[in-house]
Parts: sequence; structure tokens; C-alpha cells
Amino acid sequence: MIEKFKDWEQNRHEYAKEWKERTGGKVMGCFCTYVPEEVLYAAGVLPVRILGSHEPQDVTEPHIFGMFCPFCRDCLAQGLKGRYDYLNGIMIAQSCLHIRQTFWSWQKHVEGLEYSKFFIMPHKVQSKDAPEFLRGEIEEFVAEVEEWTGKKITDEALDNAIAVYNKNRELMRKLYDLRKDPNPPISGEEVMEISMAMEMVDKAEHNAALEELLEWLPSRTDKPSGTRLMIVGSEDDDITFLNMVETSGGLFVVDDHCTGSRYFWNQVEPAEDRLMAIAQRYIDRPPCPTKDWEERKRLPHIVGLAKDWDVAGAIIMQQKFCDPHELDFVAVKKALEDAGVPTLFLEFDVTVPIGQFKIRVEAFLEMIGDEDLF
Amino acid sequence: MADKVELWRWTESRWTNPDMDWKGKLITSGIDVGSVSSQAVILADGELYAYSNMRTGSNSPDSAMNAINWAMEDTGLKLDDITYTVGTGYGRVNVPFAQKPITEIACHARGANAIYGNTVRTVLDMGGQDCKAIHCDERGKVTNFLMNDKCAAGTGRGMEVFADLLGVSINEVGDLSLNVEEEPDPVSSTCVVYAKTEATGLLREGWPTNKVLAAYCSAMAHRIITLLERIGVEEDFAITGGIAKNVGVVQRLEKEVGIKILRTEYDTQLAGALGGALFAKVLHEKGK
Repeated sequence: MIEKFKDWEQNRHEYAKEWKERTGGKVMGCFCTYVPEEVLYAAGVLPVRILGSHEPQDVTEPHIFGMFCPFCRDCLAQGLKGRYDYLNGIMIAQSCLHIRQTFWSWQKHVEGLEYSKFFIMPHKVQSKDAPEFLRGEIEEFVAEVEEWTGKKITDEALDNAIAVYNKNRELMRKLYDLRKDPNPPISGEEVMEISMAMEMVDKAEHNAALEELLEWLPSRTDKPSGTRLMIVGSEDDDITFLNMVETSGGLFVVDDHCTGSRYFWNQVEPAEDRLMAIAQRYIDRPPCPTKDWEERKRLPHIVGLAKDWDVAGAIIMQQKFCDPHELDFVAVKKALEDAGVPTLFLEFDVTVPIGQFKIRVEAFLEMIGDEDLF
Repeated sequence: MADKVELWRWTESRWTNPDMDWKGKLITSGIDVGSVSSQAVILADGELYAYSNMRTGSNSPDSAMNAINWAMEDTGLKLDDITYTVGTGYGRVNVPFAQKPITEIACHARGANAIYGNTVRTVLDMGGQDCKAIHCDERGKVTNFLMNDKCAAGTGRGMEVFADLLGVSINEVGDLSLNVEEEPDPVSSTCVVYAKTEATGLLREGWPTNKVLAAYCSAMAHRIITLLERIGVEEDFAITGGIAKNVGVVQRLEKEVGIKILRTEYDTQLAGALGGALFAKVLHEKGK
């Protein structure tokens, strides 16, 4: 049942190429989860998240600063190596400086793009003018996509896109709710496969697979077990790391990642002004630290997740050199620890130093549990 | 050609309690296979009976076997007489005769509690490959910890490199480094290779050996302080691991932190294995 998602995630390029052939549609590579994908979907475009491959590489050195994060380097390497050669366009919603560099570099050095878009997502989502501003940007984007694809984005198409995306969000929330159970039917590693696949495949197909999965999960017999953990931080598609933790006695039951819950947490509230409804959704979503000011709204959200999913500890991770997350780390750690949730902080690179992380994780698990030793 | 003296080689040791008879007692052991050194500690009814402390070879299971065999030497003990063994350290999963692996972070906290007493709240384990600052409660249970990142600066391995470079026995580094009229500025503490390059430059400038050692011990102390500052130091404060034997680092650390560091007659390298052996006793008694 989970194999399907794993297959999508592991063969992401094959899926996209096959999708193109099957539908004759265009594929848009996205660098950030603030991209209003509903617009693309309504125009028959498949949005896919561009992620790295976790392999050491030597092609990005001339293009990305040394103190930029490993993730932005890993993503650019995929482009320079031609692994995303099927993309018709690339797009970023204004996010951090590092991934923006990946976008600019890709635009300049990777050939064959019909359309590239730097979408102006306001950083200050807390401004009272942000929804109206974002609505304007989306309106402009709709016109550009119509011109690019030669298709009119009708109200019906937008309604359908909103419905498919909302369904996906609803099903993912149901999946996460199952993890509140004292014996969750699914591991964090498996959920990561599912949420990565979610950012790569047609949401309608993902929905169908999710519905089947949700029907099957309650009857699953080989349920995972372990100390309940939460993982909080930046982009994270490090399946090797989750596997290591979950084979060392931990079990992830919830996360706050843009490759996880931040991507799908809230729905578009349908309204007559569809573009405003979409804009509002992206303004209201659980924020990335680049957007989370002046008030830090992430903190009560993260602490709420920790409480509702009853975690014994939290691993706070970030991509090495990720300034926005590094700046947030101190506050996140304090908020969680004030709420009685112990934390472990780890910095991720392209490859995971399993041995060095394993000792930290095992010691953390011993610290939050294991009264047997005394 | 004369035999090359291995200056980095610290003194290996073993010990048996001459006043104790192990027969009829519960025998538990802890094996700490570190990146540089391996220790075996044997307890009889929870009391220290024998130990060994030797260099880790390239093969963890062999190192564990060598350590326990040396600890059992002349005691009449056989491996089968040991009821429960805990493996710890870098090679904790490679101790062939252990019932359970436990991290060296938990074991060092427990070991420091046994060595220094239950008033210890902060343990600094300065090992061969990494350095850990640990907070613990009155039972020696870890309440918080922090490890250094991927670098040999501030570790035993770095100290070995310096002993070798300067032609000084590692056992004498600490004392020599204190024999300076004025404390020199520390060398680079980010990277042991850079520190070595810098030290080579200082030697070329005519610095005497002890002054260069002072600069390195000082760098190591500063490196560790950045770790301690992130987690905080609660009294009592104790150090375990091989670097605890280096008075040049310990005194500088004490001065910088401004908190007295507990002293002990025990071999500080034993803390991990001792903690493991104590856990082994509890685990056996609880039937785990």
C-alpha cells in the first residue's frame, strides 16, 4: 500500500515524464511551497517540487556561495546534471536568499525552459495589506500562465483545482490524525515517502492512493513502535535519517517541515473571489521562518502539535547554514522546553553522518526514557 | 635504525583488587570501545574488582576481547562467569559478548557519578574523537547534553598529533605546557590540521616546545569553553576521559570557567566502562 508512494518518490522523474506523455501537459518545477499551485493545476500544468538527490557533487561550486545551504546546492546540481530536463518551466515563490540563488542560477544555466517565474510572495504575511497584495500577484500570474499555456483559466477549472488540493490536504490531515493514536499505524519514514510523493505527483492520483491507504491502515497488523518524537525544521527529505532514528527506538508521529505538514496543513476556504481565497490560504498557512514576523506565530503552532500528538521529545533539524531556521532555533527550543518537551538539535548536510547522529539520537532517547537503567 | 619512539602512546594499564574474592558474587562488566582507547571494567556485586585500559585497534570486536581478557588476567575469571555485559563507546554494537549497547553519554554520566560522587551535575567527557558536555541528576541520569561537531580540535587525537609533532611524550604534555613565564595566545582551535600548521610556523619563529604546547592546550581549553557556554556549567563539575589527565588543559579550563573541577584518584578513562558495568548490574537485576 505504501509501496505506491515510495515508487512515486523514488522514480519521480520517470513519473513526470510518463505524466507528460500521457496528458500532453506541461510540467513546472517549483522551488518553494509558497507557490500557489492551484493556478498551475487549473491550467493543466503539473507542479513538481524540485528536491536534491543527497549525493556529493562537484558542479555547483561556481554558482552558489560556500556559506549557502547544502539543499540549495543539491537542488541546483539536479538541474545542471540534466535530471529535470523534462521541465517546461521553473518557478519560485520569493523565499530565502539561498534557494533564490538556485533559481537564478538554474534560469541562467539550464537550457530548454519555456517559462520561468519569480513569484513575489510577500515576506511580511502579517501585514494587513498582504492578502490584497498577494491577490494582485496571483492575478498577474494567472494571465502569464494563460499566455504560456494558451489555455484560459476558468472559474470552473479553479474550483476543480481548489477542490482537488483541498481534498489532498484533508486526507493528509486524516493520515496525521491516525498518528495521534498511542500505537500509530504508520512510521515517520513512511509518512515522509507519502508527503514527498505528494509534492511530485498529480494530486488527484495521490488522493486516490491516500483514500485506499486510509482505509487499510486501521487494520494494519505490523504497526511500528518506539518513543514518540516530533521533527521540526527546514526542508527535510532525509529518509536515511528517519530510518536511522526509527531503527534506534524512536518513532516520528508529527512534523513541522515544508516537505511535510507546513505544505498541506490548511485549506483554501472557497469564496466567490477565488483568487482572494487562494491568496488568503497562503497567507494563513503555518509559516516558514522567512515569513514569520514580527510576531513568531510558529511557536504556538509547533507547541500545539507537540501537545496534540503527545510527543516525548523533539528533534530540531536544519540545513547547515540555513539562517532563517538557525535564527528561529533558539526560540523554538525554548518554547518546546518550556512546554516540557526536551529537544535535540542537528544540522543536516547533503549526506547524513549516520554514526555521529546515531550517538546523539540514542543518547537523547536514553535521556527521555530508559528508567530501566536506574 | 633505532626503534621509533611512539610519543603519542599513553600508558596502558590494568588493575585487580587484591583484597577481593569474586567467587560467589554477581559479576557484571562494562566495555567501552572508544575511537582511541578501550576499557573493560569488572564489578563483583557492584564493587570495582578489575579493569584494563588499552589502545583500540582497527577492529572493534578484537579490541573488546583484548580489553576484557586483559582485565580478567590472573583473576581466574572466564568470560562465562560474567553475568551481564554492557557495551558502550564508538564500538558499542561491536562488543561480541555484550547483552546490550548503551551510549557513552549515558555511561559517562553514570560513571562520573560513581567516581566523583552524586553531587556531580556537569560532566565533561573529553575523549579521543569527540567531546561531550553532559548534565545529569543525582543518580547520574543524563538530563541534557551537547557534543562537539566534526573536528579533531579539542580531542585526544588532536593532542596526540601535537605530542608527535613536538617530540614530547603525551604523558608530559600537560606539565610542560604549564612551564611558561607568560601564557601565549592560543593557536587556531577550529581545525587540528590548521593548528598543526600554525604550530610549525611558531617553531620556525623560535618558540620553545613548552610555549607551543601552552598555546595548544590553551586553544583546546577555549574550544571546550564554547561548548560549555552553550549548555552551561552547574556545580559540581567533573571531567572524564583521557584529556582529564592533562593538567595543562584542566588548569586552563578551570581558570577560564571559574569553577573548581573535581579531582580523583581513579583513572578518568574508566568512567564509561564503569558506568556500563553499573548499568549491567541494574539491567540484570531487573531481568532486562
